[in-house]
Amino acid sequence: MSNLDKRATDELHARTDKHLQVLKDQIWEELEQELFSEDPLIRSRVKKLKKKNYAISLIITVAAGLLIALSLQTDTGTAFVKEIKEIFVPEKQIIQNIEGTDEETEVQLNEGKDSEYIIYVDETRYELTNGKNSDVISTIIPLPEKYPEVTMEIRQVADEKPEDLVNTIEAALKKDFPELREVEEVTEPVIGFNLHGAAGNEAESKIVNAYVISNGQEGSFVITQYYFLEAAEGHGARFHRMLETFKIVK
Amino acid sequence: MNIDGWYKQILAGDKDAFRHLYEAYAEYAIRTASAITRNREMAKDAVQETFIRVYRQIDSYNQSSPFEPWFYRILTNECMRLLKKNSFYSKFEHPDLENEPSIAEESFDSLSDLYTVIQSLDDAHRIPLILKYLKGFTEKEIAEILELNHNTAKSRLFKGRQRLKDQLFPTERRLNNSE
Repeated sequence: MSNLDKRATDELHARTDKHLQVLKDQIWEELEQELFSEDPLIRSRVKKLKKKNYAISLIITVAAGLLIALSLQTDTGTAFVKEIKEIFVPEKQIIQNIEGTDEETEVQLNEGKDSEYIIYVDETRYELTNGKNSDVISTIIPLPEKYPEVTMEIRQVADEKPEDLVNTIEAALKKDFPELREVEEVTEPVIGFNLHGAAGNEAESKIVNAYVISNGQEGSFVITQYYFLEAAEGHGARFHRMLETFKIVK
Repeated sequence: MNIDGWYKQILAGDKDAFRHLYEAYAEYAIRTASAITRNREMAKDAVQETFIRVYRQIDSYNQSSPFEPWFYRILTNECMRLLKKNSFYSKFEHPDLENEPSIAEESFDSLSDLYTVIQSLDDAHRIPLILKYLKGFTEKEIAEILELNHNTAKSRLFKGRQRLKDQLFPTERRLNNSE
């Protein structure tokens, strides 16, 4: 081990030594309550604390809903939707971090199936194809055959709420991705449920990253990204940034 | 006893077996989470959530593979999730030091705080170095933990270490560049 390596090891140990035992005891105490307490009220405490973090976004959603409802009382629905669409500029620049480097990219406004949502697409690399049941964003230049597919599919399920639909999606994805992570609630790039899985640790191993989100009514949008391990910080990062611009307009 | 011995007991909900696993892995989990998040409370939450996931999802651990990469994958994902969620605060807690001229100009002798230099790197290079130096993980294990291709992990470790040297030995860098 070189002098630099030894110093790095020593300093990392020294700087992470503080309060170690206190933290260890505190964490165990909370684990004991969360996992082994016979009192269900105590066991649900951690979950309640986590839900508190989502309170702000929930308030914003409710406020936005009220604003739309109030506006619809004075304008016709169609005119309002048109106004909303006009708010979105046809083209804008975003900065995205690709493989550790900030990159300035021009993205173009695209409409989803039946104009139910908008999304900004990096049209130098990808194209959005409106399909009968779903829309698919794929690479303009096809990838060599040895690589798995690289796509982002956006599909609406009008009659099933995310909390009901997510289990069906999870079961379906587990067939190809047995090591699918536990469903996670996320607030980025969209607010909803996230399912993520890798079919191996090789450069070309398939990755799935799916989101199940509310369509603002009684249904859901399912957004499924497919890429491969080596492309996680390329196509994966670009899909993430594109999805941040996803907005429901109807 | 190790994970092979505890596995079935934890699967059956045995608290004692889970406590043994906690005693075996908590210390380095806390150290790693503290270094990655640079925040005591965030590290505490990350470690706590990791052990909860281990307890509840122990059945998804493949016993034929080593336990630590699986465990640290959950831990680093949790740290990164919390960092991302609280990015507004973490920016203020640790400003970007990479381009800070006062650090670049300091000599090796006066700059005793190598930890600060490691922490000034971007996450793509900082986290692999923390895993290598703090826990002694190999390139292959780091690739598995961070879900990276082996060559990507190798290159990040190399570049990260190179940046440490550049920060610590600016004179040497200038001499090499002028050659």
